Amino acid sequence: METELLHTAADKQLYLRFFDVVWNEQARQSLPDGLLAVKQSLRGIHITPVIYITNQALTYTRPAETDSLAAKVNRLLSRLTSEQGIQYQNVQIDCDWSVSTKTTYFAFLRAFKRYSGKKLEATIRLHQIKYPERTGVPPVDKGLLMFYNMGKISADLNAPNSIYNEKDATAYTAAIPYYQLPLDVALPVFSWAIQIREGKIQQLYAKLGMADLSNPANFRPVSAHVFKALKSFYLKGLYIKNGDLFKFEGMDAESLEQAARQVSKYLAPMENRHIIYYEISSTSLLPLYAKDIKEISAHF
Amino acid sequence: MQKILKKFLLIFSFSLISAAGIVWACGGGDWDEADYSNFAPEAFVDRQYSPFFYNSWQSYYGTDVNDNSNTRYNRQVVEEWDGHLKNKVAVKDVNTLLFTASYGGIDSAYQYFKGKLSALPATLPDLKTSGLSKKQGETFFSYLLLAKQCEQFAVSNTTYYWDEKVPLVTPAPEIKGSLEKAFKKSRDPFVKQRYWFQLLRYAYFEELPALKADSSAGPDNSGLVTLFRQHENSFPKNSMYYRSLGYLAGHYYKRQDYAQANYLYSLCYNFSSEMKIPSKWSFHPQNEKDWAGSLALAKNNEEKITLWQMLGTVHDENRAIENIYLLNPKSEKLDLLLSRLINRIEVPSFDSVMDTGARPKIKAEDLALTGRIAAKGDTRKPWYWNMAAGYLHALNGDYVPAAKYYAQAKSQLPANDRLLEAQYRLLHWNLTLSSLKNIDGKAESSMIADLNWLADLRDQKDTVANLRYQRALSESIRILSARYKKQGALIKAECFQSGTAFYANDKNIEAMKALLNKSSKTEFEKTMLRYYPYDLADLHYQQGLMLTYQEKTDAAISSFEKAGKSAAQDMMANPFNSRINDCHDCDFQAVQTKKYTPLTLLRTIKTIQSEIAAGKNLYTNNLLLGNVYYNITHYGNARDFYQREITVFSSTSPMDIPKEFRPVFTSSALAEKYYLRAGLAAKTNAQKAKCTFLAAKCERNAIYNDLYNEPANQKKYYWEFDFSTAYAAKYFAELKSKYRNTAFYNEIIQECGYFRSYVNKF
Repeated sequence: METELLHTAADKQLYLRFFDVVWNEQARQSLPDGLLAVKQSLRGIHITPVIYITNQALTYTRPAETDSLAAKVNRLLSRLTSEQGIQYQNVQIDCDWSVSTKTTYFAFLRAFKRYSGKKLEATIRLHQIKYPERTGVPPVDKGLLMFYNMGKISADLNAPNSIYNEKDATAYTAAIPYYQLPLDVALPVFSWAIQIREGKIQQLYAKLGMADLSNPANFRPVSAHVFKALKSFYLKGLYIKNGDLFKFEGMDAESLEQAARQVSKYLAPMENRHIIYYEISSTSLLPLYAKDIKEISAHF
Repeated sequence: MQKILKKFLLIFSFSLISAAGIVWACGGGDWDEADYSNFAPEAFVDRQYSPFFYNSWQSYYGTDVNDNSNTRYNRQVVEEWDGHLKNKVAVKDVNTLLFTASYGGIDSAYQYFKGKLSALPATLPDLKTSGLSKKQGETFFSYLLLAKQCEQFAVSNTTYYWDEKVPLVTPAPEIKGSLEKAFKKSRDPFVKQRYWFQLLRYAYFEELPALKADSSAGPDNSGLVTLFRQHENSFPKNSMYYRSLGYLAGHYYKRQDYAQANYLYSLCYNFSSEMKIPSKWSFHPQNEKDWAGSLALAKNNEEKITLWQMLGTVHDENRAIENIYLLNPKSEKLDLLLSRLINRIEVPSFDSVMDTGARPKIKAEDLALTGRIAAKGDTRKPWYWNMAAGYLHALNGDYVPAAKYYAQAKSQLPANDRLLEAQYRLLHWNLTLSSLKNIDGKAESSMIADLNWLADLRDQKDTVANLRYQRALSESIRILSARYKKQGALIKAECFQSGTAFYANDKNIEAMKALLNKSSKTEFEKTMLRYYPYDLADLHYQQGLMLTYQEKTDAAISSFEKAGKSAAQDMMANPFNSRINDCHDCDFQAVQTKKYTPLTLLRTIKTIQSEIAAGKNLYTNNLLLGNVYYNITHYGNARDFYQREITVFSSTSPMDIPKEFRPVFTSSALAEKYYLRAGLAAKTNAQKAKCTFLAAKCERNAIYNDLYNEPANQKKYYWEFDFSTAYAAKYFAELKSKYRNTAFYNEIIQECGYFRSYVNKF
């Protein structure tokens, strides 16, 4: 289904994470991790490579090493893409940088731009859009506003959807028009179930969907989105204890449409804005169709 | 690696989670299970399980855990070869050949052994003189050469650096041929079994790349199962056998036959302590059906029990205990699970970290389970179950049943087990402490022995390896202090747990001094004072300190004279100096021809005061007093004058100074008074300007203090305050209107941007 979506609705545009840059304590340096293993042909698809850099990697990278880190990242990306025969014009750097890593991160971006010669795009999280005077505006060509994860992930069964809810979103929308970068937007199409035990969050599971939770042999519904485990058992590799509560948070076509409508009002007009649906992979179990995507994208 | 990769798909959610509630538990390495626990698993559980003792912040408990798949069995392998070679080759040489020498190196050593090479590099062992027969040597070296080739695919480098190729090495087919040939040819069962292992491992890695795309797909052409089954009975059930079995399990796991895989992993887990970590790591039932399948594969109750222990250790101690107990109440595999159950409950919740008095919630099912099995008394270690049940009940506030379980345990304790006896004593003390109501003389006498014992443990005068006494120690201090406070016995409360507020009242200090000075202390008082952190000298210093700010110089000197080292330490800067811009570091580094101590500082104040009384050098002397009273506040260069343990040592921001002392240590009123007097005595306009400017600094500090002390600002960080426009308007106006033509005025315009911005603005 992902392949079909990609071809029909997404105009064959795909953001693909190639590797992460993480701090390796043993090696005392930032190293690539989780390198992409491509299993199907990407022919005919426009790929924007994504590199995820952990904030910790930036924290421990000394200013003098920033430049060589950028060179290494660029070299590895060139190699991995050329192995796959991928041509690309843009690179997206994904990083939840903070006030303390701002300087290192921005220096990295400048150096990376110099080495790669590509257009750079950086992810912008909601707290960064709200406090640009503190977190700074990254020196890139374009930003990708991540319009999700705005609420607190909470054990409170009545708390609004943390992935997207209109009310929490309003805390951020007012700042959007003033941000000093052209912005693409990422909308959430993922879901997860929050496992709650004795009033505390245990874990988030993207692989548990409504279909699993609605099975009356295993769960009893407490409300529309909350389910209680009836016994202790294994399910999809997870261990569930009798009495565990699962709060499902996800997006449907309607809430996605609402998010699109809400954020589009605050975005400055821009040609060819990319709307990124995060993330369409085999783990996101949302029934989402090309038709929905086209309708929602029409808001921008 | 696979695990980490999956995490990143959801990276945003993970970062949110850690912010939401578990941050306090992940502070890094300074968290120790012994800090919050009263219950040492070492007292009850076999050592072979120690990596799986409950650990709230790391994968494994203890420091001697080898979690490296590449080196885990090295020691064992060396021992096995050493036995096989009948100790003829030095262990270090076996080690070199097995693990550090390259293929070429091994080959050279082999050629040298055979006499085909005349010289050998010094790094390689000479086996020619070892006494190995030609045949033994040949067998050993041939195996080594093949095994070395297999390392290409079998030894994984888990760290990926920047520039190498993605490491996925498919075994070369010619190795397989060589292995098969060697296996067939080999007559020596020791080496033959190793070739069998190599072949199985080869088959496992050979099919891996094909399985990765869709691990359930395709018929099994690997031949691995047949190879295993065909020969398994030809070899002893030793570590080589179980390591081979591990690859069979891995094969099933990759082909998604989880029932088989997890069952086989449990056999490996049960075999040796070395195999426990990798087997437990690999154990992953997916759905209840395959878990039931694993149980059905178990050949007897003991095998079922192993499976349950693994489930219990990984997920659910309670359920595992229930099931193992049904299968065999005497099973030693219950021990680990019970210790984990207790230790997990002991971990402080976020609420109890915030409020140390909060009682943990003990689930009824845990109370019932431990109580029921303890009451039955049919386990291998009935005292263990009684202590566990008693402790859970005590934690739950059920002191009467707790005492009953403990009494049972006491009657069952085996003799001459020091850790177990200490563990019992600790739990019993914990119950005494928790059930304490009014503390009278009788109660005090009964506590003396245990309180001294805890203090001995704390001071390392007594040591019991592995005993976890930190929680008991801190709870004793907290509970006794709170109890005495409630009873109105402030001195005793302070002895157990010291608080700053106590020292704001001089009467309290006098009472504490009286206790410390008492010549015939009771046994309880002596014990109690082992918990009191200060001595007489500290108290004298505290009194002298407060007298200094009250300008009772003589009395302060007399106190400091009794304060010993505290009042005799060199101060970091000269406290009689002043500067336009406060710069403590500059003052610390400045050449100081005379070093002051708190005592000599006060004596100097006294000399200056008497000169002032005699009308001598009024300008200079008042200026010096202004400086010293300025410097011994938060704003001056002599914070070390007041920064002591009682008044909080490390207060870098005024907000860190305890509120009882903050007004005194931050006020520049005394300094201002003397600067104004110096101004009155000044002869020149430049002198007057200087005094006015120094008074302006005091005025500005008062503005700062007002902001810091404002109730609405109590939760702010000091960098959140904005002082850029808080001008010392009164004295600045005076400077501007009266002293504009002095040289000093130009100096401050140059040096003090704050003043400059005022002048430009007004």
